[in-house]
Amino acid sequence: MRLNPRKEFMAEAVSQFIDIENREVSVAALHDHDLYELELERIFAKAWLMIGHDTEIPNVGDYVVRLMGEDQVIVARAADGQVHVSLNVCPHRAMHVCLADSGNARVHKCIYHGWAFRPDGSFIGAPIEKEQMHGIIKSKAQLGLKKARVQLYGGLVFATWDHEGPSLEDWLGDMKFYYDMLFDRTEKGLEVLGPPQRISIDANWKTAGEQSACDGFHTLTLHGSVIDIGAMGGEHDTEHESAPAMYGINLSGNGHSLRCIAADTSWALAHGKGDLTPEERLEAFPPPGITPGLLPELKKKMSAEQLHVLAKAPPVVGGMFPNMNILFIYSPLRDGTLGSALVLHSIMPKGPHQFEWTTYYFAEKGTPEDVKVMMRAAATSGTGTSGIIEQDDSDTWPHMTESARGVIGRTETLKYQAILGENRPADWPNKAKVYEGFGKDDAQWEWWLAYHKLMTAEA
Amino acid sequence: MSVTVDTNIYSREEQRRDEVPYGTAVYNSIMTFLIKEARLLDHRKLVEWGELLAQDLEYKAPVRVTRRVQQFDQEFGTMGHFDDDHNSMMLRISRLTTTTNAWSEDPASRVRRFVSNVSVWETDVADEYEVSSYLLLTRNRAEAKDYKQLSAERNDRLRMTKDGFHIARRSIMLDQVVLGMPNFAIFL
Repeated sequence: MRLNPRKEFMAEAVSQFIDIENREVSVAALHDHDLYELELERIFAKAWLMIGHDTEIPNVGDYVVRLMGEDQVIVARAADGQVHVSLNVCPHRAMHVCLADSGNARVHKCIYHGWAFRPDGSFIGAPIEKEQMHGIIKSKAQLGLKKARVQLYGGLVFATWDHEGPSLEDWLGDMKFYYDMLFDRTEKGLEVLGPPQRISIDANWKTAGEQSACDGFHTLTLHGSVIDIGAMGGEHDTEHESAPAMYGINLSGNGHSLRCIAADTSWALAHGKGDLTPEERLEAFPPPGITPGLLPELKKKMSAEQLHVLAKAPPVVGGMFPNMNILFIYSPLRDGTLGSALVLHSIMPKGPHQFEWTTYYFAEKGTPEDVKVMMRAAATSGTGTSGIIEQDDSDTWPHMTESARGVIGRTETLKYQAILGENRPADWPNKAKVYEGFGKDDAQWEWWLAYHKLMTAEA
Repeated sequence: MSVTVDTNIYSREEQRRDEVPYGTAVYNSIMTFLIKEARLLDHRKLVEWGELLAQDLEYKAPVRVTRRVQQFDQEFGTMGHFDDDHNSMMLRISRLTTTTNAWSEDPASRVRRFVSNVSVWETDVADEYEVSSYLLLTRNRAEAKDYKQLSAERNDRLRMTKDGFHIARRSIMLDQVVLGMPNFAIFL
């Protein structure tokens, strides 16, 4: 299917990829070039995108270069101490202004003709000032690097090109209440454990995007090897009931999603059965990433309602629409204790058949240094490039994309017809859509509805 | 300095003492070891390869970042694509060899590891050598017509034991900032 480029037909054309009534998505959506171009405009130039963390650039002048869709941006700390995100394209002749991935610079000078910019993107000038080589038509104020709108949340740098769109808070909606339990729960907050892994994967970005929205079901099969070797807990003969906590609470709002695993399930997997109240368990078995020393901070920062969720079933995996994947999971550490791995992926499109998968590892700043090092190792062995869990995922996405190249293959559909339905437990906060039970397709379908909404929105 | 801006030097040049000349018995035994190791991995003799890993193994492939040329020797970060010890490597091998669900390598890739430019140095520890080698790796899978390729320099600490050489430390200095292969379900 090729999109009709005429604007009045565009919304209708996008809708033809998604059968709302039957909860099916055309496999052609993983291939179509015109749809892809529209995604760059309507999703990646509109959505709030996570592109790093402020602990990557602690000092004035520090910068990293990141992607927003296919656009490179400079994420820099300027003289005002704030994080600024500027397009890495010189307004003079479109040369990349910044050629390194990271560093420190008070001035970013384009190597082509020498136009120079501050870390906040503003234009300083061109060489031979008296000759006014920046021209006589536009003022210096008009010649800065294009600026994205920036908002920090838990230190995570979010940026969007939509200067008139919703605030990040509105964008996250009710889900922010739950994300706070992961990203904004201690006094000092999170820090990155090094520069992110970057991999190029020969697959359409949506294969990883839709999976991030709480696809728990694939764990049983695709990650069967990890269950087999006992790295996910569960008894071998009852693995399909107990491991890895297939029953839980899925949450969804605005296309964002989180999967909460009952704390007593995690506790039983780690320590066997025990009769602890939720509050006792929170004390003995804090959520992933919270070391015992950080518990008082967590209790101070979280509301009673949030603490209840953390004690009953903390969020551990999920996504943030459109392209972020979250794993804040328990993981054995190399000293034999049970610790955790805090992982965020971003999925950046590189054409209809390729995306760049970026993986960040985190720890709470208040974590002992030796534990941070072990958390980083645990995250690396489970997730990302060599992760024994995720290396199977990055093998699957290219196959799905290849299927979409066949003219017959692309007449198939992705089906989201296993439905649990909203069924919020009485003691669960009335926030976002809540699905308790065996994780089904509900949240993933909500991801596609959010996609559909953004793709068909009036420009 | 931040965690990210901080970089590590993984070549450990300060630990290198006298260079062991090409063609000597020690040099030849190390070359033989590296060839054998590549052969075991290429032929998926993963358990046998695992027996070459020392108990105190440190196995790391640090993330690389592009920097200005003045910082060319500071391109490797603290985070890795591999960040392993002996236990975690055994877990990886066990997953690949004892289960029937390790899909990232089932069907298996056809991998060739070309090892060259081997340099050997004595160290302060008797029977331990610092070894630098170049690795060119081609990986083909299923019906792909092309290859996923990787080049790297490996800085190893090899230890002679009564059972032959063991790898005590391997630092894999990748040439790619953005990896072209979708995973490291293979060893380097």
